[in-house]
Amino acid sequence: MDSILDVNNLHVTFDTYGGSVQAVRGVNFSLNKGETLAIVGESGSGKSVTTKALMGLVAKPAGKIPKGEILFEGKDLTKLSNKQMQKIRGKDISMIFQDPMTSLNPTMKVGKQIMEGLILHQNQSKQEAKKRALELLQLVGIPDPEKRINQYPHQFSGGMRQRVVIAIALACNPKVLIADEPTTALDVTIQAQIIELMKNIQKKMETSIIFITHDLGVVANVADRVAVMYAGKIVEIGTVDDVFYNPKHPYTWGLLGSMPTVDSQEEKLIAIPGTPPDLIHPPKGDAFAARNEFALAIDFEEEPPMFQVSDSHYAATWLLHEDAPHIEPPEAVKRRMKGFSTEGDNKNE
Amino acid sequence: MAKYITKRVIYMVITLFIIISATFFLMKMMPGSPFNNIGGKLTVEQEAFLMEQYGLDEPVPVQYVKYITGIFRGDLGVSFQYDNRPVTDIILDRIGPSAHLGAQALIIGSILGIILGMFAAIRHNTWVDYTSNILAVIGISIPSFVFAGLLQYYLAVKWRLFPVSFWESPIYSVLPTIALMIFPMAICARFMRTEMLEVLGSDYIELARAKGVSNRIVMFKHALRNALIPVITVLGPMTVSLMTGTLVIEQIFAIPGIGEQFVISISTNDYPVIMGTTILFAILFVLVILIVDLLYGLIDPRIRIAGGKD
Repeated sequence: MDSILDVNNLHVTFDTYGGSVQAVRGVNFSLNKGETLAIVGESGSGKSVTTKALMGLVAKPAGKIPKGEILFEGKDLTKLSNKQMQKIRGKDISMIFQDPMTSLNPTMKVGKQIMEGLILHQNQSKQEAKKRALELLQLVGIPDPEKRINQYPHQFSGGMRQRVVIAIALACNPKVLIADEPTTALDVTIQAQIIELMKNIQKKMETSIIFITHDLGVVANVADRVAVMYAGKIVEIGTVDDVFYNPKHPYTWGLLGSMPTVDSQEEKLIAIPGTPPDLIHPPKGDAFAARNEFALAIDFEEEPPMFQVSDSHYAATWLLHEDAPHIEPPEAVKRRMKGFSTEGDNKNE
Repeated sequence: MAKYITKRVIYMVITLFIIISATFFLMKMMPGSPFNNIGGKLTVEQEAFLMEQYGLDEPVPVQYVKYITGIFRGDLGVSFQYDNRPVTDIILDRIGPSAHLGAQALIIGSILGIILGMFAAIRHNTWVDYTSNILAVIGISIPSFVFAGLLQYYLAVKWRLFPVSFWESPIYSVLPTIALMIFPMAICARFMRTEMLEVLGSDYIELARAKGVSNRIVMFKHALRNALIPVITVLGPMTVSLMTGTLVIEQIFAIPGIGEQFVISISTNDYPVIMGTTILFAILFVLVILIVDLLYGLIDPRIRIAGGKD
């Protein structure tokens, strides 16, 4: 499959008073045309920072990209000037933000906020841009767009605002759409609507989507492939089936185990013990070793490389080394995995 | 909107009425009479005659009613000190320099302050920011009359760049304007910096950047307007402090303005002039508050008033 975006060995650091925080420590992935890649991981794992780097929005001067490349249509985005990035942002790569209550400018009419990108990137006249804005509002399911276009964000509900944010992101038919936890701030019924909307739009526009979330239920619903991030690295990446039914990394086991399923009422949820490591001084060896009940001696000495599980499935854990003892995922996680497959079966029926 | 303004004007009239009444009775409680300053040269009969002449022998409530009805006819009475000159005359005569000075200081001060604060925020944690901060702290903590003295000493007496005092041509307004505008400038700079920093860190600014909007447009189209909202709120009280500031500054620079007149009138118990000036200040004050409220709605659609049922 053709990839549209290739991220190679990306590093992002932030200078703070306490030292340099290594928020992203060598991330590799590629995004194929028309697919949805979900990036999951707990707070602070570097998901959002990775996508900010893709947008060229890493906050300067504290934030830096000391190493790595982001190849988009043959260009390395990390090498581009701010001016050059401005031409790509919002046009080829655009972004949906987490909290619709704060991501729209409160003193600017919604229509104007949608039209801004069109006028900027496509040199459209005001009339053309307005026409397109009306189409977009229609597309994202906002009723009565002629009236709504002249209203201010405070006249919209949270779900409606997120639709407006999506309309802004879609304005110039971007090739890559980054959705940074687009449903986290919404209530559950609205979440489902927004996810449906995004799936429909992707079908219509064939955009590639990077979907950041820590909701594994959402991942199973929207994604083609999943990347699991921990402490600034991707620890496991594969198709949804690979990661949900055949997870290899103990951290992925932990994530799956800590997720409630429909028939898990009587079971206690399993928490991953401990806290994420300090990224100012990342630990030697595998960053997850200290929280990993299956850690091997080598985990504390040397970082595991990416082991290939199948054509599409990779995981960075020494457990996949040929000399490693064979370890089965914990029973509870296995039951979850089964749960997923039965859920999946139900869906297919 | 028209309905809102009408409502506000009615409230303003009520406010003014309360201010006038309170000032009237407070003033009557001041010790002394307008005529005993003349050096005890008046006989008891002469004083009684004068009191009768100006209606001061009547009971205070009667005087009050007469005064209020006078106001409705546009008659603010005559001065006791300036040969029966009508108070309106005195005010009209002296309002020019004060209005000129006040407006000049307010406009230049707040605009400079906003610019200063904005650049401090944009160049956060650089020398621009530090310089602006130091200026702001100095401006807030040192009273205007100290500046007035320093300005007079260095710029006028020592270097002879500007006239020391009086009010004859625009160049005479430079020093008093600088002395008067430092405070509003400092306040605006402080507020603007804080607000701008907050706005620049907000999600909608990041979204604007994510749209590919250039830095300058982000600043002026997206950030400035939002950062101005809270700054507008301080403009009201600031104008008031400016009005009281003119009292002192006009004295120092010997400017024939209304503030200077006010101070003189209080010390001579010139009741009608005190009342007239108070009414003027009160009207200005309520007008400023109204204007600030209207500006607020103009800038922030969330508090745009009435008729908002569309």
